[in-house]
Amino acid sequence: MPSRIETLPAVRPSARRALDTFKLWSRKGHYYLGLYFLFFLWLFAFTGLLLNHSWMFAEFWPNRKVSKFERPVEVPQTDNDLDRARGLTTRLGIKGEIEWTAARPDSTVFEFRVNRPGHTSSVTAYPEQGRAVVEQIEINTWGIMRVLHTFTGVRAGDERNYRDWFLTTLWVISMDAVSIGLVIMVFSGLYMWYGLPAKRKLGSAALMLGTVCLRIVYLRPAVDILEPYRTAARPAVA
Amino acid sequence: MGKRFYVVTRDLHLYVGLFLSPFVLVFAISVFYLVHSRVGREAAPPGRVVSNLPVTDELERLSGRDQVNSVRPLLDRLGVRGEVSFIRRIPKEHRLVIPVLVPGRETTVELDLQSRTATISERSTGVSNALIHLHKMPGPHNVNIRVNSSYMRIWRWLADVTTYGLLFLTFSGVYLWAVLRAERRVGIGLLSAGAISFCGIVYAVSH
Repeated sequence: MPSRIETLPAVRPSARRALDTFKLWSRKGHYYLGLYFLFFLWLFAFTGLLLNHSWMFAEFWPNRKVSKFERPVEVPQTDNDLDRARGLTTRLGIKGEIEWTAARPDSTVFEFRVNRPGHTSSVTAYPEQGRAVVEQIEINTWGIMRVLHTFTGVRAGDERNYRDWFLTTLWVISMDAVSIGLVIMVFSGLYMWYGLPAKRKLGSAALMLGTVCLRIVYLRPAVDILEPYRTAARPAVA
Repeated sequence: MGKRFYVVTRDLHLYVGLFLSPFVLVFAISVFYLVHSRVGREAAPPGRVVSNLPVTDELERLSGRDQVNSVRPLLDRLGVRGEVSFIRRIPKEHRLVIPVLVPGRETTVELDLQSRTATISERSTGVSNALIHLHKMPGPHNVNIRVNSSYMRIWRWLADVTTYGLLFLTFSGVYLWAVLRAERRVGIGLLSAGAISFCGIVYAVSH
């Protein structure tokens, strides 16, 4: 006499095993990634709040320390500006991402800025005179945290500057990794939730609410909803 | 009591996570554009001209939030909606240049106060710029005029909700993991590895 189990639709054992493994690793991956990136997430979430709210306790610019020094130094003679700047910073004992601040109308002056979170050094070198003037700005821990949120070495539309310090690249790789981790965590979370039929109704409502809120802002800005009421007030086009 | 706390935390972690998932995707995906994209602003195509506008000379004298508030009824009249990014004054020509943003669209209004005309040019900025815009807004710049539109008021609130929600998810996630005894050893290993990499990179970059 056939048992109840034998009447179930046949599922290939290998496919079932693969699905079970996928389920298991979705769950494990979700909290393994969360645990590994925990400190990065705390930093980016907290600094996100600092950037959006000008909280008094986290002020850093008024408390900055500015110092200036002048030193005799030989500016390396190479055609490549970056190599010259790198050679000069090594001699001056400064490290960080090199930023070209402005076009140089005066060829007797070699100017650039060196940035790393917490420290900005503006270097003005006079190759013919064999000296360099360095103005340094140091900011406090709140400032360092804020800069870490945005420290990428590049800026949209700025063709002159590109990442030239390996630690900036390392930090950018960390940012990418955190983002990839977050995307994986979102999808593994959605997959795990879908496997819980009892939570599907309320979960759908939560997901729908989030999507609608985003849609209001992004896909159809809230102000556009008022469009039909505003059209009447438009003046004639010349 | 302990079991009830666990069940409530687990459910909240699930529902808060589901609500936030579209926002987390926006913030996470926009990072790639912010960090790797080098594309600058394209010039806006020639726009329409509107004349006979009820502008006053006072508009040129005002600054900051007052100027934005005074410009707003005019923008409404022109059918231009969105966040006023900034107002650039060109005193010699008695002109104001006003970029107005919504995610995915930038409208530039050039207001000629002498001839009482406005040139309105509009350009689509695409999905990548829309995501970048949302990621960076409201942000630390132009604080005195920022959040001057309806959608930005909503977005500021939603961005805060996303951040506080994400912090809640991390704390509740750690609690839910800590309850799982079988995963404790691997979890502690990963948590330590994460802490070491984080502290190591931050120290190296900033010292």
